[in-house]
Amino acid sequence: MIMDTQLASLFTAGALIVIGIFASVFLDNLIKKVIGLAFIGDGANLFLIAMGYKPGGIVYIYLPGMARDWFAQNSAYPLPFAMVLTSIVIGASTMAVMLGIIMVLYKKHGSLRASKVLGE
Amino acid sequence: MNPLIALMIIVPIICALFLNLLHKKDRTIKAIAIVMAITLPLLPLLANYGLHYFGGYEPLYQNPALSKGLPSLITGTALNTFHPAITYSFQDAQKLFIFILGLVAFLAIIVSLFETRRPSGVYGFMMFMGVAAVSALILTDDIFNFYVFFEIAALATVGVVLVSQVKGNYETALKYMILGSIASPILLLGIALLLGVTGNVNITDIILSLKSGAVNPQNPVILMACGMIFFGWLYGSGLPPFHTIKSAIYSKALPHGAALLQAFSVFTFIALGIIILRIFSYLPLSQLVIIGVSLLAMIMGITMAILQTDLKRMIGFLAVGELGYIGLGLGLGTALGITAGLFQAVNEVVITAFLFIGFGTIYYQSGESDIRKLGGFMVKNPKVALLVLLSGFAMAGVPPLNAFQSKLMLIQASVQAGLPELGVIMILLSIVTFMTFMKAFHAVYMRPQPSDLEIKNDFIPKATILALSILLLVCLLLGLFPQMATNYLQGISTSLAGGVP
Repeated sequence: MIMDTQLASLFTAGALIVIGIFASVFLDNLIKKVIGLAFIGDGANLFLIAMGYKPGGIVYIYLPGMARDWFAQNSAYPLPFAMVLTSIVIGASTMAVMLGIIMVLYKKHGSLRASKVLGE
Repeated sequence: MNPLIALMIIVPIICALFLNLLHKKDRTIKAIAIVMAITLPLLPLLANYGLHYFGGYEPLYQNPALSKGLPSLITGTALNTFHPAITYSFQDAQKLFIFILGLVAFLAIIVSLFETRRPSGVYGFMMFMGVAAVSALILTDDIFNFYVFFEIAALATVGVVLVSQVKGNYETALKYMILGSIASPILLLGIALLLGVTGNVNITDIILSLKSGAVNPQNPVILMACGMIFFGWLYGSGLPPFHTIKSAIYSKALPHGAALLQAFSVFTFIALGIIILRIFSYLPLSQLVIIGVSLLAMIMGITMAILQTDLKRMIGFLAVGELGYIGLGLGLGTALGITAGLFQAVNEVVITAFLFIGFGTIYYQSGESDIRKLGGFMVKNPKVALLVLLSGFAMAGVPPLNAFQSKLMLIQASVQAGLPELGVIMILLSIVTFMTFMKAFHAVYMRPQPSDLEIKNDFIPKATILALSILLLVCLLLGLFPQMATNYLQGISTSLAGGVP
């Protein structure tokens, strides 16, 4: 059951990435494209979280009274979670810039259709 | 630990933040930007070689005081040798690369300050932030830290294009970001797979895990990670299929911005190329794939450059083609080939900046970059015309300029590696590069001035001519004394080639 949680997360991550690539490549609306790109980023982040998942593990905060060996054996690996935090910040910044550009382009072209705005 | 290593990243970031805060205070921006730009090439010259640990400490086995009392689960396993901090490594090659990046950044910033009536704090912010990010890419030994600065460099690239106010810049920037938002998570997934298999993101530790047998090097997950990181490499450096968008990005930036952006691309190319070679060179197909992609970049970049009528787009495609030469050197996998490839990278950064700033004088004077609408500039600026002509000679590999030496080394390396046909292709494509350049040069300088061409600025700033003269001097020095650069590259080349001369 615990293993299923990790597998389910990995499958969800894969599904998010595939849906995201489909949306960003085939949908004509710029906002929908950006949502698709957010899906890809979220899929990659979920993949990282699933990698760091430790069945039955504890949060990696060393509290007074914990035995060092027990903590070292049972705490989850913190690196992927730290990486995901950074990745979320980068994703949010990129998203903000993209949406800002789309706002300017909408004022200029009066449309959100990629085929019109980007000439695709 | 040497604090100057950290300052190579911190100084441009702090400067970028100040410039952004001081937006609209023209004189202050100009003064701060000039002073800080001078420090960019000086810092790598002053710094001593060594490692710098960001946010942590050296491996436990090097620090007995820290490892004392820790459980054997840590001290008795590979964890004892792992790098718990983000490690920055500053050696010979990094010194040369960051010096050249700093020099090109200094010249691009100076030209931008003197060619614009009101210096933009935001533009300065983007340029300095990009320099900080690319310096980090060159220094870092941590592949996730690489990803973070890879993204910052991409955002800075978009920023330089957005600030340019060139027609169509927003559309091109959005296309670049959409492609980047697909490629970057794929790069991140590759890093995640490596983390999953080896338990680490430090490149030295990943290699140790693979070489020590702690991880099976033939694990298919590693092959998949290699493919994903390779895809990120194609996007970051503008190799096919991203060559079109990369050259479009250059064409939508101001010429001094494009001069800096191409330096970002080349250094991203070699930084990630070196990482790929360090981790995956044992995979039988890796070098073949690098050679294949490089050949494709050379052929597509240079042939597409012939068809262009926009000067900046033409130089952009030529820059992509020149990336192929660097990739060929890396792909040969021999010490001579890698030295030649890295030397070509240094030369390309200098020459392409030379071309962008040189042809940028035309854009500065006329506001036009379409060669069909230009002409008569030889009469107006014979000195600049001569400098631009020499920059074209340098790119084509005419002696005694620098690319002649690196291209000759590349041909020697390909013959030595038993692939003389690559040398023939390189010579043929150099001829095509020369033809492409001469076509543009003839149209812009030697044809009579069209009657409808409006000249907006009669005089070129002295700072621009000084920048061009410095770049010519560097081309001549590296052409006459190639060992000034190659001596810095031999250490890393020998290490990457794994003993193959």
